[in-house]
Amino acid sequence: MARIEADDLRKVFRSPDKRPGLAGSLRHLVERRYSEKVAVDGISLRVDEGEAVAYVGPNGAGKSTTIKLLTGILVPTSGEVRVNGIVPHRNRVENARGIGVVFGQRTSLWWDLAVRDSLELLRDMHGLSTAEYWANLDRLVEMLGIGDLLSSTARRLSLGQRMRADLAAALLHDPPIVYLDEPTIGLDIEVKDRLRAFLRQIVAEGTTLVLTTHDLGEIEDVCSRLVIIDHGRIVHDGGLRQVIETYARERVMHVDLAARPVSLAGIATRLAGATVIEERDGLGVAVTFDPLAHTAGDVLTAIQAELQVVDLRIKEPAIEDVVRRVYAGQLIPGPDDSPDDSPDDSPVR
Amino acid sequence: MTAAVTLPSAPPRRTPTVRQTLRAYRAMGRAAFRSLVAYQTSFLFGLLATTLAAVAMLYLWRSVLAAGRVNGFDWPAMKAYLLVAFVAGSLVSSYVDYRMAGRIQQGDVAMDLVRPVDYQRSRLAEALGFGGYELGTGLVVAAAAAALFGGVPAPAHRSLGAFAVSAVLVLPLRFGIVYISALVVFWTRNYVGVQSARIALITLFSGSLVPLSFFPGWLQGLAAALPFAGMASTPALLYIGRLTGADAWRDVGVQAAWTVGLWWLGRAMWRGASRQLTVHGG
Ligand SMILES: Nc1ncnc2c1ncn2[C@@H]1O[C@H](COP(=O)(O)OP(=O)(O)OP(=O)(O)O)[C@@H](O)[C@H]1O
Ligand SMILES: [Mg+2]
Repeated sequence: MARIEADDLRKVFRSPDKRPGLAGSLRHLVERRYSEKVAVDGISLRVDEGEAVAYVGPNGAGKSTTIKLLTGILVPTSGEVRVNGIVPHRNRVENARGIGVVFGQRTSLWWDLAVRDSLELLRDMHGLSTAEYWANLDRLVEMLGIGDLLSSTARRLSLGQRMRADLAAALLHDPPIVYLDEPTIGLDIEVKDRLRAFLRQIVAEGTTLVLTTHDLGEIEDVCSRLVIIDHGRIVHDGGLRQVIETYARERVMHVDLAARPVSLAGIATRLAGATVIEERDGLGVAVTFDPLAHTAGDVLTAIQAELQVVDLRIKEPAIEDVVRRVYAGQLIPGPDDSPDDSPDDSPVR
Repeated sequence: MTAAVTLPSAPPRRTPTVRQTLRAYRAMGRAAFRSLVAYQTSFLFGLLATTLAAVAMLYLWRSVLAAGRVNGFDWPAMKAYLLVAFVAGSLVSSYVDYRMAGRIQQGDVAMDLVRPVDYQRSRLAEALGFGGYELGTGLVVAAAAAALFGGVPAPAHRSLGAFAVSAVLVLPLRFGIVYISALVVFWTRNYVGVQSARIALITLFSGSLVPLSFFPGWLQGLAAALPFAGMASTPALLYIGRLTGADAWRDVGVQAAWTVGLWWLGRAMWRGASRQLTVHGG
């Protein structure tokens, strides 16, 4: 069952082209000029119940804008969106009952109140019973380690403390859908780990999660599906493993050698399509290969036929590699059709 | 780990009962009251400014009326009129105002859009919560000023019922104006100008410093038709018994009509504003 359905969503921001100063303002009154910025450019997305989707892309790609459209904060310029079966921006109150939202750079806490007071206010807004409230609060306090923060005023919290309190505020009412827009800003490593474990758990329990982050470790830990967006368009949408297989299929075998080789050409001829590079001042070799063309065993055999191997490591591609390529504007379908050394390839959109 | 809770994946959220809804708004009102510590400074300075203005007006009117009755007002009636106007004017004068405009300017209003409560009713709940504080301090200051100026007469018997209704309407009516002027920030992106304009309009047309009957006829007619008279003039005139009988209820009717009208105007504006809302940052 689809929890989130977005169909050809577009959001165009129109901002007045005003010259600075009073003269500029007056001029704007006479001749109104606007510049348009297409932040989200035709996004279609279906997220099923219990799915955990990582939504990544470079700065300014349109991630936060998409989240704001899905949460009903912004009204799309065109396109359709349904969340839990309702149109979020038309029915904001009902929509808010079924979602939890965290924006890393904003707080949903009341600045002037103690965290506990904010949480109690949310309890009353969501109509939670005392039993539900305490059960959820206990669990969140433990998972997020916020026991000591409850009596502090929100404005006195450090960034990481505030983020944790905000997460508790967003999850207090057990929302079936959770949107997290850069939720790990400011969190230390220990808390990040705890948060990941927590997210994994709520996803396992059936919560639908949409997560934007620049912390790619988080994605591999929590999400099973990766959506990459650039310039307001989805450039890839698929299972996380599948993405890595498609876009970062190559492995690299690093080999340490007993002595400096005379030539590496022999290895290259044995392994069609692989790249062989010298490393460690000649005392090492890195072979980049496609596991569908050659097995690791083949590669090792080829190297051993030419050289004396002391040690070896195989580097698996990471999600970082995929995303780094998108950010660099050179997302290319697999290493064999279009090798890395042709960066002038037009980026796939 | 307390594993007792399982996060439900699908249950369609139950629609809240009226009691639950009331609980939410009451909680917001209480929260506004509780956050007053943070707004105390701006609130107290505002109170100081209006208190000084009111005291100055009292001295001024005392010397004007020393020679005798002007335009039907004698000194005791004028004292009472000004103090009622002062208390009325202290309502919805700080919290909702600054907070709403600030959140709209900063874009934090985005977070208000993902709360399961009606935006306008929430702000009214906050105005009521903070209003408890405003009313309390307003009454204390007014009582002190009354003592300083030799006491004020009790409310007139003849129009007591109308006065009570009118007094209750002051807060929601003022809320309507404050709410609408804060929403204007969605378009202007600046609040100082909007706020000054609103204060100037209220000061002039509510009759809080100079009773409207001192205005030339055409201006009186205009003021009677505007919503501002209900914010000070109407309750103050009812208190001193200058408005009675059918006239009294007519003016209370105008006040009530504006209260309702501004509420719906505010609703329409919010719909417009939140449709074309752009949220900066993030
Ligand atoms: N209110 C606005 N008015 C005009 N342009 C906007 C507005 N909000 C966002 N934009 C523009 O829309 C584009 C997408 O912004 P968005 O915040 O969605 O990016 P993002 O993917 O979240 O980036 P980041 O990783 O930096 O958070 C950007 O180019 C941004 O400048
Ligand atoms: Mg963002």
